[in-house]
Amino acid sequence: MKEVELDCMGEACPIPLVKAQKKLETMDGGDILLVLIDHSCAMKNLPEWARKAGHNVEIEELDDGEWEVVIEKVV
Amino acid sequence: MKLTEKVSKNQYYKIWFKDAWPYITGAVLLSLFQIITFATTGNPWGVSGTLAYWGAWLYELLGGSVEKWYYFSRAGVNATLRNGFLSDPGSMRNLGLIAGALFSVLIASGFKFKKIKSWKQVIAAVCGGLLMGYGARIAAGCNIGAFFSGISSLSLSGWVYAVFLFLGAMVGSKLLVKYFM
Repeated sequence: MKEVELDCMGEACPIPLVKAQKKLETMDGGDILLVLIDHSCAMKNLPEWARKAGHNVEIEELDDGEWEVVIEKVV
Repeated sequence: MKLTEKVSKNQYYKIWFKDAWPYITGAVLLSLFQIITFATTGNPWGVSGTLAYWGAWLYELLGGSVEKWYYFSRAGVNATLRNGFLSDPGSMRNLGLIAGALFSVLIASGFKFKKIKSWKQVIAAVCGGLLMGYGARIAAGCNIGAFFSGISSLSLSGWVYAVFLFLGAMVGSKLLVKYFM
């Protein structure tokens, strides 16, 4: 089980979502992907997609306008 | 417990100010405000047309003249131009838009100055902005004035706009993935 960080600070939609999707494809079940974002609409579409795909998702607010989306891959 | 902590834990604060509203809430409010806008100003909602006036007023402030420009020589457009900023409902609405967006991000404590990540972003933003602005003017409307207001006033042009909006979004997505991934 490994943990991978994906820095998407300063990236606008839908880049964080597409990057997270591609990254997650290369990972195994149980692995954790941490996506750092500062674009509020990514805070909506990224967790929405990940939950629909069946992964476990948690959102942490790091600072004003900065979030960390924690995705645990479920196969 | 400090007041700010108390507020941030309040469930109504979370529902109303912190979390994004559901799409359906937005849709209902947009429709409602479209009706109010139409009833009070006599025109449906538009955003980018007003920005052209702002550009013209700014240009005139610097000593330029747009009198001879075809775009501003048409009667209705010229009247709005002559009546000025404070008499233009669109200008007041656009100011409200900016103030409202700022308020909503501040009250959700989500305000942040974002750093520019690369020159690619700057070039894409400038090119995209110019294409959107120019396109909206020669199409006589943007995705608000021509698309949303067009369809909501039962105009066929709004649907034509929708088809090409979709095609444009498809091309845009491909370019985005090609250059930014």
